[in-house]
Amino acid sequence: MKKAHVSRRKFLKGALATAVAAPALLRAGGAKAGPEEDRIVKASKKYGKASLNGMMWALYWRNYPRLNTEFKGLTGISMDQVNDVPNLLIPQRAMAEAISRSGKFDIFHVESMMIPSLVAAGLVEPLDGYMKEAGFKLEMVGNFASFMKYQDVTYALPTDGNVCPQFIRKDLFENPDEQKNFADKHGKPLKWPETWEDELEIMKFFHRPDKELFGFGGLRDKENSSFWYWMYLYSAGGFPFSDDAEPTLTTPAAEYAADTFLARKQVSHPEAAAWGSPQMIPRIVEGKIFSAQYWDGIIARIEGSPTPTTGKWLYGVPPGSKFSGRLIKRAFSAPVMGLIVNKLSPRKKQAAMWSLYMTTAKNSTEVVAHPTMTFHDPWHPVHMTAPEVEKVYGGKAGMESIRKSLLVTTPPPYVTGYQEFKEAVDKNLSEAYAGRKSGKQAIKDAQEEWGKIVKKIGKARIKKEIPYYKAMMPKMDVPT
Amino acid sequence: MANAQTIARKPGRGLLVFKWTLLGPLFGLLLFILPAFLLQLYFSFHSWTIYLGSWWDAEFAGLGVFRDVLTDSRFWWAALRSLIFASLSTLGCFVAGFALAMAMHRPFRGHSLFYAVFILPMLTVPVVIAYTFEMLLFQRGPINGILSTILMTNVNVTWLAQPPIAVFTVIMLEIWNWTPFVFIIMLAGLSSLPPELDEAAQVLGASRWRIFSEVQLPLLRPVIMLALILRFLEAMGEFPKTWALLQGGPGSATETVPVYLFLTTWQYFHISRGAAMSYLVLIFMILIVLLGIRLLRREKQTIDAIHAKPGAGE
Repeated sequence: MKKAHVSRRKFLKGALATAVAAPALLRAGGAKAGPEEDRIVKASKKYGKASLNGMMWALYWRNYPRLNTEFKGLTGISMDQVNDVPNLLIPQRAMAEAISRSGKFDIFHVESMMIPSLVAAGLVEPLDGYMKEAGFKLEMVGNFASFMKYQDVTYALPTDGNVCPQFIRKDLFENPDEQKNFADKHGKPLKWPETWEDELEIMKFFHRPDKELFGFGGLRDKENSSFWYWMYLYSAGGFPFSDDAEPTLTTPAAEYAADTFLARKQVSHPEAAAWGSPQMIPRIVEGKIFSAQYWDGIIARIEGSPTPTTGKWLYGVPPGSKFSGRLIKRAFSAPVMGLIVNKLSPRKKQAAMWSLYMTTAKNSTEVVAHPTMTFHDPWHPVHMTAPEVEKVYGGKAGMESIRKSLLVTTPPPYVTGYQEFKEAVDKNLSEAYAGRKSGKQAIKDAQEEWGKIVKKIGKARIKKEIPYYKAMMPKMDVPT
Repeated sequence: MANAQTIARKPGRGLLVFKWTLLGPLFGLLLFILPAFLLQLYFSFHSWTIYLGSWWDAEFAGLGVFRDVLTDSRFWWAALRSLIFASLSTLGCFVAGFALAMAMHRPFRGHSLFYAVFILPMLTVPVVIAYTFEMLLFQRGPINGILSTILMTNVNVTWLAQPPIAVFTVIMLEIWNWTPFVFIIMLAGLSSLPPELDEAAQVLGASRWRIFSEVQLPLLRPVIMLALILRFLEAMGEFPKTWALLQGGPGSATETVPVYLFLTTWQYFHISRGAAMSYLVLIFMILIVLLGIRLLRREKQTIDAIHAKPGAGE
């Protein structure tokens, strides 16, 4: 046998070629599983093949088929039926399954805030055992992993971070003429807003409805109002329940939050009271909004493909409040979508393994970095620095705003009966926004309604949940 | 033939077959409908929220759930909104539908085309109507644009963002959607009127208005009653457009009974409360139907009396 002669030159060439090709091969070769994936595959094999039936909106499912086929090839487990149901309707369908107890559905892709109610309905399978078995560690930015847990048990695996960073129009904000005019008018330089009051002042300056430019682009419709309210409330140091499960919606912090919420009407589009995302997103993308806290997927929409405002936005952490005596900044994440496994399904073990496989750092990066469909927003620490995710979200600035916002992100009330609590606040705030009542009256009425809801659900149950809800709050005042 | 002979020879068997021909579907219908009604009844007398336990363990509440609903001001407000919505939209559908029927009563060139166009809204799915109009009703949308052109002034109405205007908007959408229903009923009613009466009145020199108000309208009263009752009942249950467009908002301006019922049952998951609410609405609807039947009967008696008069119908 002839001994191959490898010269130093040949060796260096080969090494260089490998170095160039390796990242590309690794990225393209999604079929090659990493150690975490290998462990899940190994653990899955002992449960046998399964044809799963899931419930997921088609806009979310779109990013999974390749990984689904890959997992099928490796384990024989695959999602063969996907019921295309929009996010907002899945809680009802999941509850219907809790009644029928048919075990027909294996996985629900549902908002994590529904976990307490779905656990109470006996529908959700705890996942910690499977995670341990497969050596899977759920990693999410900051304290975000608590959104997937209920009373310290993991019940969901994340698919979509859905945090709302701050958006400010760069071309206007950094325009020297605008800066001069602002400084002349207010006697101070135009700076990134630190507080809600700063933001309002700047929005008022840029609010030019005659030119189709509106200061604020947050949602104020009945379906979404409360998300912004929680952010204002938490940043003012408020919390909606006492430790004894008494609603605390009429505290000074809650009043401040309601006032902050309503103050934005003066710089909002006159139709904002009836606008959801389908109406607001085009306005943001077309450049008719100056400032907003909005879902991070829009960053990808704006920066990932040419739009009228590509490159014209600044992204950062939402402003905060000094109401409590110190500056607290809070963002909000809702709905944080996750995969939950039906406890009543005979295929729950395979379903749990399938969910784990889709959630590993590597695989979820592929899902989040889908070039055309950005319903899955980043949540894993790895997503924050992954070049493919960064590419989709238009660069480092957008990703940094997402990471920092996730560090201080907050949930809506994470208790049993979430939807009813949420709707009571939505309805009353929406009434106040429409001019039917004052902000003070709105929170007073919401407080009264919450009292009745607590009574219906049971004070003892809510009281038990409050420490866990509190534990979901960020561990820092201002993200670094 | 042989069968007919056999049945003729055994009249008792023929009667039996006839009986079961009627009773079979009735039992089938009861089997299909009754379980839902009975379950609903069970739920309304028990206190069941999906996530707080299984339905067979739900605590018996007697009339407690009904009492809760009847003392819930939000339910009464929703009922009032439903009544206003149903009454105004029924009236609007009736006026527009009747006017169209009068215009289309006599055949003219292109009659079929107009007929097809007029019934199109009724054939459109309500949710599609909601989403289509949502786009048309933007402040800078086509409807304001057209109104601005016609009125020669800048029309800037926010059709969905202001509570009273939003209510008006959903009423108008309901009228647009369901005017064809009244149109078809009234057209059928007008076509069934004996032309002789019309002609006789014309010969006697009656004006068009007199013929309409003193001949046609009295004879159409049962048809009008039918159209109004059916439309009102349908409007009381309107949900898809209101929900798709406004989810009961802004605030609670368009929160009608069906919207509140949906929220209670499928967002709050209080099945018992939803069931009790449904029963109360059902009782109200039955009362309306009974009232309608009574009115229709009275109308029929009046018309029968006219026909029974010596010389009438000769």
